[in-house]
Amino acid sequence: MIPVEAAKNQGGKALGESVKTLSGSISYEETAYHLPLAFALTGTPVHTADEARTIYAKTQDNPIIAVEAIVASRETHAAPDPQFTGFIEDAVIRKLGYSLVDGSILGLALVVGTPDNRDSVASICRELQEKFMLTFLAGDVIPALSSAGIKVGLDYRLIPLGPAPDSSIHFADILARVAMMFGGVTPGDAGRLLAYAAERAKAFVIAFPGLRDEDISFIDAFRVLGVPIIAVGEYSGEGWIQSPAQDAVRTGMDLKGIKVNVTAIPIPMACSPAFEGKSIRKEEMYVEFGGGRSPAFELLRMKNLDEVTDGKVTVVGPEIGDLKEGSAVPLAILIDVAGKNMRKDYEPVLERRIHNFVNYGEGTWHVAQRDLIWVRISKEAVEKGVKIEHVGKLLASKFRMDFPQLLDAVEVTLVTDAARVTELKKEAEAIYEERDARVRGMRDKDVDTYYSCTLCQTFAPNHVCIITPERLALCGAISWLDGKIAYEISPSGANQPVEKGKEIDALRGEFEGVNRFVKKASHGEVERCSLYSVMEVPMTCCGCFEAIALMLPEVNGIMVVNREFKGMTPSGMTFSTLAGTIGGGAQTPGFAGISKGFVLSDRFLQGDGGIERLVWMPAQLKEELGERLKKKLAERGLPDLFDKIADETNATTIDELLAVLTEKNHPALTMKSLL
Amino acid sequence: MTETTSSEWTGTIDQVILGATKEEGGTRSCSYRIGGESDLPLLGTVPAGIRQPLIAFELCDDLHAWPQIVRHYVGDVADDPAAWSALAGKEYGADLIRLYLTSTHKRGFSDFNAVGTTVADVLRATSLPIIIEGSNEPDIDSEVFQSCGEAGQGERLLLGTAEASRYRSIAAAALAYGHSVVAQSPIDINLAKQLNILLRETGLPHDRIVIDPYTGALGYGFEYTYSVMERIRFAALKGDSDLAMPMICSAFDSLNVKEVRDAEPDLRDDAAVQWEFAAALAAAVAGSEIVCVRHPKTIPLLKEALSALNSGVRRAGGESP
Repeated sequence: MIPVEAAKNQGGKALGESVKTLSGSISYEETAYHLPLAFALTGTPVHTADEARTIYAKTQDNPIIAVEAIVASRETHAAPDPQFTGFIEDAVIRKLGYSLVDGSILGLALVVGTPDNRDSVASICRELQEKFMLTFLAGDVIPALSSAGIKVGLDYRLIPLGPAPDSSIHFADILARVAMMFGGVTPGDAGRLLAYAAERAKAFVIAFPGLRDEDISFIDAFRVLGVPIIAVGEYSGEGWIQSPAQDAVRTGMDLKGIKVNVTAIPIPMACSPAFEGKSIRKEEMYVEFGGGRSPAFELLRMKNLDEVTDGKVTVVGPEIGDLKEGSAVPLAILIDVAGKNMRKDYEPVLERRIHNFVNYGEGTWHVAQRDLIWVRISKEAVEKGVKIEHVGKLLASKFRMDFPQLLDAVEVTLVTDAARVTELKKEAEAIYEERDARVRGMRDKDVDTYYSCTLCQTFAPNHVCIITPERLALCGAISWLDGKIAYEISPSGANQPVEKGKEIDALRGEFEGVNRFVKKASHGEVERCSLYSVMEVPMTCCGCFEAIALMLPEVNGIMVVNREFKGMTPSGMTFSTLAGTIGGGAQTPGFAGISKGFVLSDRFLQGDGGIERLVWMPAQLKEELGERLKKKLAERGLPDLFDKIADETNATTIDELLAVLTEKNHPALTMKSLL
Repeated sequence: MTETTSSEWTGTIDQVILGATKEEGGTRSCSYRIGGESDLPLLGTVPAGIRQPLIAFELCDDLHAWPQIVRHYVGDVADDPAAWSALAGKEYGADLIRLYLTSTHKRGFSDFNAVGTTVADVLRATSLPIIIEGSNEPDIDSEVFQSCGEAGQGERLLLGTAEASRYRSIAAAALAYGHSVVAQSPIDINLAKQLNILLRETGLPHDRIVIDPYTGALGYGFEYTYSVMERIRFAALKGDSDLAMPMICSAFDSLNVKEVRDAEPDLRDDAAVQWEFAAALAAAVAGSEIVCVRHPKTIPLLKEALSALNSGVRRAGGESP
């Protein structure tokens, strides 16, 4: 093993000696950047040996500056060797930068040193070519490639810089010029240069053995430009990553996040956000899953990498061909993911993306979440050959494409077998409950920051959800914790922190900071938002709400109806009519979209007189919330309220409701008037 | 600029510079700064040095699919894009030239050097700032935009047209050679915003993007465009920086509408001009900083109308200019 640290010191000294011996003029032609590294780092154009020495001293003997001057001096005075490119002129770099932005080149690699055997360097370079990388070569790797029968040159995306490893300085001068040409980096602004290179430059070095101390010293300095060094040779030092030759390219690409794009997903339908807002109506649908017509749910779980086969899609149960047109079929969407940066906390956040991804399919449609999902596949898609399996392929590919930093493997299982779905759904429900329990117990007053969700702005452009520990997003799928995590994963995404700010009304839950945020995020449409009131400036509604809370002035109370309930409510409207009335991002006093779980929150109806206002809920929702709601009510000294809440078995009209409430002596009737 | 709207706008439209004079590293006789509004179109105060809307004259290097009426009116000069563009500046009175490289639309086009030559010729023939419309075929975008970008290096061209499905080559040419980009979305504010974000992610700064909302001809969909332009501008003024760019409109179908085609031969030019004028003026009122026309006779009419709009006299007193 060669210790990099010691080599750097020795090499640095040797370079210093060499710089002393330089003389005369040093200059490149066909460039506006003089000696590009010296120019980029210090802003000073260097044209003579003396100027180079001044800059070298000014940069505290930076080995990059030394080698740039040494190589430039050599190339200035020697006749060019047509086998090598040497310094590359600006016009070519501009084209190169073009290809990097254009996507026809994914990144840059430098391969340097003396390979033990020519086959290992040949296979590395072939892999780099296949992965759309532009590769620069310096030193003995060039004859090694030639002897292995590999052609080099710009056309082959293998660029022979020069016969000695120190020609690899050109790799760095190209990065510097790209930063100045494309990144708007001002010469001399070293801070910007380094930040730009670290963030944008998709570049890495593969170092074979045989580097001199001087070479190690300046190549090591590339690391400040955010260029990782993959050591195939025996180097040991901080930041020099040991790798077997066969893994070197993958390691470098992983480190810099360079991904060979999957540009098209191999399924017989188009897939793009453009189709996200398109719905599939009953007449257009071939088959549907869930939506109250059959049991269906979705679940994304984190597993160990060895338990997940990337890209694998399995369908358990009948496929499209076995299904009757127009039928409703059970479905479980199970997504297993693994990744070194993945965390269990991220599961619900990623799971919520299933909604978007399925809607990206031209012939697939998805609404709601968890065990409420409703999915359709269109006749047109089925005619084109789309099968249930392809929904899985779409999901597997999109998760990998959209979360490359997070996920290393995604496997999808789609279950259409009724018995299996029912069985698996029980497990899923336990997991949903576990996730909800994590955020239970936290209080709104305990935190200063809430989270927003504007995921639905694609179809409800002014809608803003505010998520607090005691109030889930109205879709029921994103808790305060999920919002926090989603923000961590993607800081410019749809979940942003909302500074609560000064309290305006504690009871209604109106806060200055929240109002400020809502106004901005709703593009000025919504000025105020109270988190705990249905009656006064309630939150806007997108269309994903699990339930609707609405006032019934005739009985001085508030009813709640959930999405699954298909019947008539005492308001004279069904859930779907109500949903059509209040959705789309509007703020409708007297109506609020809520998650089912919010009914159990101490903040529910706090601004409207309290939970005593609750007069009606569908029997099924009452049953679902049952024990938990009874417990809550008992805690609040209202042990008999649960039985006083009417449902469709005793009241489907407002008159019936009034009669039931009067008979049971419901507290809402004697409360302060709602209006 | 005597009136302002009462709304509390918080956003300002980005300023985009088109063209570069000798001092600015190019060869144009002038450069334009567009954008900068912090109120609705033609209201409020616009920063000094900004004159808009600008009128761009559209021409092409292959007349194959160009409105017959234009060819008929302008004559043989239309066969030579360089001579035509010189005429557009000197005689027609255009502020800008918008060159459509329609030759690249031919099936199997591969003469990419010719693209660069045409751009260079036009740059020599006219000293006005230039908008270049490249290929409309993703397979050749990379070569076409590389050559137009390179040919116009330093001239601060406006390059078009980027769409959500194909924007990389245009963005690359803009970044590599210092140009700006026309970003077109199909009359859809969300897609307009999405495209601007995609462009930003390539590294293209906000002040190098001009939004093309896609413009229907008057009576043939213009009202949709108008309404989307309003929404884009409202969003921008309310602080959405991803939509705070100047806009460009070209109701290029105006010269092909039924009313023009069916007009009496001796009235056809007038009908065409009136149709194009009405759409361009409406686009300017909706906030377009650049309006594009194809009939030379539309330009003087439009100039007069725009200067009246800009004078503020009519708004203040209600009388005609």
